[in-house]
Amino acid sequence: MKQHRMNTVGTILLAGSFFLVANAIAAETFDEDTYGPEAPIIWEQPTKVSFSHKTHTMEASLSCDSCHDELFTMESGAALATGTMTMASMLEGQYCGSCHDGNTAFATNTQCASCHLDMTELIPTDLIVWTKPVKAVIFDHKTHIEDSGLECEACHDSLFTMETGAAEKTSDFTMQALYEGKYCGHCHDDSTAFAANTRCNNCHIGVKGYNRLMGNDGQHGKSNKAGH
Amino acid sequence: MKVEELEKAINEGTDNLSIEERRKFLQMGLAVTGIFLGGTVLSLTSMAQANQNSPDSNIPIEGQYPYTKHYSMVMRQNRCVDCEQCVAACKQTNHIPNAHDAYRTAIQERLTTENGSEKREFRPVLCNHCNRPPCVRVCPTKATYKDPETGIVVMDYAKCIGCKTCMAACPYNARYFNEEKYAIDKCNFCLDTRLAEGKTETACAAACPARVRIFGDLNDKSTEIYRLLHMPDTKIWVLRPDTGALPNVFYMNA
Repeated sequence: MKQHRMNTVGTILLAGSFFLVANAIAAETFDEDTYGPEAPIIWEQPTKVSFSHKTHTMEASLSCDSCHDELFTMESGAALATGTMTMASMLEGQYCGSCHDGNTAFATNTQCASCHLDMTELIPTDLIVWTKPVKAVIFDHKTHIEDSGLECEACHDSLFTMETGAAEKTSDFTMQALYEGKYCGHCHDDSTAFAANTRCNNCHIGVKGYNRLMGNDGQHGKSNKAGH
Repeated sequence: MKVEELEKAINEGTDNLSIEERRKFLQMGLAVTGIFLGGTVLSLTSMAQANQNSPDSNIPIEGQYPYTKHYSMVMRQNRCVDCEQCVAACKQTNHIPNAHDAYRTAIQERLTTENGSEKREFRPVLCNHCNRPPCVRVCPTKATYKDPETGIVVMDYAKCIGCKTCMAACPYNARYFNEEKYAIDKCNFCLDTRLAEGKTETACAAACPARVRIFGDLNDKSTEIYRLLHMPDTKIWVLRPDTGALPNVFYMNA
């Protein structure tokens, strides 16, 4: 009986010590001196973007001097004020791109929604233009979203990844693949949308269309105007 | 006048019919085949009928290919997307100078607006290797001629004096002055650069990813071009049929 009581006391003590240890870890989570500001940094302009110190310091074990002050000065809004913190500069290895290069961490031209809070802000207004395997094919997000009412998920990322030129790099970005239901052919199958082997020039704008689009229409050659 | 009497009347021929008059009927899809009684009566037939029966038919007629190897090309025009891989292949194969007016083949573009959206049409063009080539007729030195075996309109650069009369005569704008050769140059269906090496296709046809250009011998019934040009109910057309040059480049949507 006495022994049984001792066991009970021991169990209580043991549970108590676990509780204390767990408490200690929880307390450390919010140590802003070690891990930086607890609340995520939110940029409103030019698009809504979020950065979490916690993800990078506590979870990815980065120290403050990994980024400060070489990549980012410790001042609210300072990076954006430089005017050089753009997706283009990041792709060249500046700011977040220093680590987010597809090697140390995911590349800045992938996983857009990891940082961008409102993806509708990112819908390209310009035409997407492919030049491979043939020059040139256009895609308009506007007609597919506004006119056809498609959601981003209809194509991304199952048919196309959100990365400029990604489809072009694959060897099967061909009409044959489209006929087999890949890429555009997923919908352009004659039932959901016009078949991929019809209306060729809806999407194919040719070399001349490409030159016009790029503002490079200064060719006065006979080849452009060999008509009668 | 009764029809029986009219049938006995003399056909005065269509030579003196004005172009305007002829055109009016052409627009209705009719061809004038005869003039009777001083022009008060015309006999008409449908264009399709006229083309089938006339020896001047622009569409090839079975068994009427004058050359042993009657090389021709069919353009399946609606397949063309103006990728210009044909143009690039031709330039490389035939060493076309990098001058703005130097070309053997090109893609023409027509932009129209349909229901508020832009519509594009592309048409590949090259020398038509006509059966009655106006360029050959006008050449003062016989530097350009029909190859007797293949019917290809070829150039003898050594004989060419660069007078450019052929350039003016060509209904298809298919000739250019080659500064390097100091002679007129043009498409020759890759006669020297590919056919002579045993290849069966021109560079442009081989390069086309959409198989717009089908090249072959019309006298060989096993060729794809023979099959395409002898499909019943397929509309075939040529460019500028009015010149009477009888071109050997045919167009269709297939």
